Amino acid sequence: MTTSALERKPFRLPISPVFLIWLGFLSVLLLIGVYSAIAVFINGLYITNMSDAVPWGLWITIDLSSIALGAGAFTLSAIVYIFGIKRLQPIIRLAVLVGFAGYTSAMLMLLVDIGRPDRFWHPWVFWNVHSVLWEVTMCITVYLLILVTEFAPVIVETKFFDRWPVLRKFGHFLHKLTPFLAVLGLVISLLHQSSLGATYGIIKSRPFWFKPSMPIMFVLSAIASGPAVTVAVAYVLEWVTGKRTVPHNVLQIVTRFCGVGLLAYGYIKFWDMAAVTYYGRTPGVSSAFALLQQQTPYSFSFWAGEVMLGILVPAIMFLVPRFNKNPAAAVLGAVSAMIGIIMHRWNVTVGGLFVPVSYSPGTVFQLPPGTYFPAPVEWGVAILVIGYALIVLTLGAYFLPLFENNEH
Amino acid sequence: MEKKNKSKKKKIVLELTRSDVLKVAAAALGSIIAAPLLTTGPLSPFGQLKQKQLEGPVEDGHGATGEYHWGMVISLDQCIGCEYCMRACNATNDVLEGSPWNVVIAEKTTAGNTFFLSRPCLHCQNAPCVEVCPVKATYHREDGLVVMDYDRCIGCRYCQVACPYDARQFNWEERTDVNQYVPAWGEPEVERRPRGVIEKCTFCIHRIDSGLAKGLMPGKDREATPACVNICPVGARTFGNLKDPNSEASQLIATSPTLRLRDDLGTDTSVYYISPKEGM
Repeated sequence: MTTSALERKPFRLPISPVFLIWLGFLSVLLLIGVYSAIAVFINGLYITNMSDAVPWGLWITIDLSSIALGAGAFTLSAIVYIFGIKRLQPIIRLAVLVGFAGYTSAMLMLLVDIGRPDRFWHPWVFWNVHSVLWEVTMCITVYLLILVTEFAPVIVETKFFDRWPVLRKFGHFLHKLTPFLAVLGLVISLLHQSSLGATYGIIKSRPFWFKPSMPIMFVLSAIASGPAVTVAVAYVLEWVTGKRTVPHNVLQIVTRFCGVGLLAYGYIKFWDMAAVTYYGRTPGVSSAFALLQQQTPYSFSFWAGEVMLGILVPAIMFLVPRFNKNPAAAVLGAVSAMIGIIMHRWNVTVGGLFVPVSYSPGTVFQLPPGTYFPAPVEWGVAILVIGYALIVLTLGAYFLPLFENNEH
Repeated sequence: MEKKNKSKKKKIVLELTRSDVLKVAAAALGSIIAAPLLTTGPLSPFGQLKQKQLEGPVEDGHGATGEYHWGMVISLDQCIGCEYCMRACNATNDVLEGSPWNVVIAEKTTAGNTFFLSRPCLHCQNAPCVEVCPVKATYHREDGLVVMDYDRCIGCRYCQVACPYDARQFNWEERTDVNQYVPAWGEPEVERRPRGVIEKCTFCIHRIDSGLAKGLMPGKDREATPACVNICPVGARTFGNLKDPNSEASQLIATSPTLRLRDDLGTDTSVYYISPKEGM
């Protein structure tokens, strides 16, 4: 590893007018968001556009997406500490920060989305071990603890902790456990990232969802896209500060990994489509697709959103050597992959709910297809979560030693 | 930071000493002891709640495990589509107009003749909603009924998504509406559900429980029988204990060809339908 003077210099975000404007912008996002969230708490979910026919919408989409986009933390930790690709170690701290931002965003989102936020703690006390959603909740909780433990050593390195050497010592002790935490994090993450897909995949009454490929596609897309988000954050921080964050060769390796991951995801997706809509199609699935194509721009959002933006564009940006070496192309690819993830989660959630269940033994009755487009207040709370994630990243980059002593 | 590692910085080495291992082992042991103490044991802030859960509803196994299994037989041949059942239910259970627990649907047989399908909650013995609820807010009672604990529900709406029969409603707002079906179709016998929880048909559980306590038999004595069954002007609905082979409901199932909704899903519903005479 090169140890040029540039890289040894402590990384700091400068307090510049632009930075202050950025903070002002984030405050506006938070204000809009907090206002919307308070409106929801006062009035209830009645003011959203969700209904008994489509009880999940934009918020669940954001929830699933932010967990998927936070997957860089466990993927890169596993690559470095379990598979021993130690060259990638300089990116770990940033990846953990991005993961922390993603997972806490998801929890914030869920808190607004559930009907009784005052009972958010019930899954921890009233266990239903048969419920995949319970398993996801517990895994996310445990994984958030792992992320905090992984990150504690970085936090205690800050000046603030000069006055508590005991805490710093404890932090360094925790740091020694990182490889163990990486193993635990990998297990827990593989479990809940795929279980989020299983949340849909096990619902046997809805032919659009009921398939074993659902968990596989969720976990693969998360593994492939998550690290790319970390790469994009690293490049953007570099543009903002003009200082090196993570060595470029590291970022290039990670983007290549993401590119290969996306191709694997694309391959599974292709076979899923072939099996579900062609070779193994059932009347239920066929009519579900027919209804979706009739009522919604499903085909367009699938091909343009999930396949083109989500797989093809980023795979080209990440794998073609010319683009791989170009930071702008890598960021473009990462943003494209993020949009692809969000489109996929949206199509699965909302698309699946648009197709009503069918239970009548007669020949004509059908429940009306669902309709849904997020209400302004839903966008408002979405802005809250995005603003929150950006603030975590900004403050983390400002206060924490993300890019020093990485070799330790 | 520690400079001594510089020489081997390209390797990831476990820098654990014996005392570290001991610390980890001690922490692990401590956690194992602390976990039960803090969740169900004397130190837990949730101890009593958890204890309540353990003593509470049927933990494992599905459906009816006790001496009763409440079920309903609905004759599609007799139903005239008057919607009295829906109205009586709306009044008795104080249900929000527009999202009834008990729906009546005009349908056609393959021959093109109209019949009416009415659908309460089917009280599946393999209930998807019970499986997916992350907090056991919806569960099986010993008598096979799928019931809701409104005080436990967190309002995640997964059960609503999972129900194959569209039988669950969410309380999107605090109720302030005036019930149009009161008093013409009955008086509310249960409280309105709070904002933010799921609700559904209970087979008038309050009547069953208070009736049994008085020595009455649900399905025979009107006071202990669901409102929809009592009000049906053509007697299309029969309610009773499916575990008692002599109950009217069991007799009907034994003597007439019946069908159940989406039997292919293996939900094992407690509601049986007698098809129209001409067949489906």
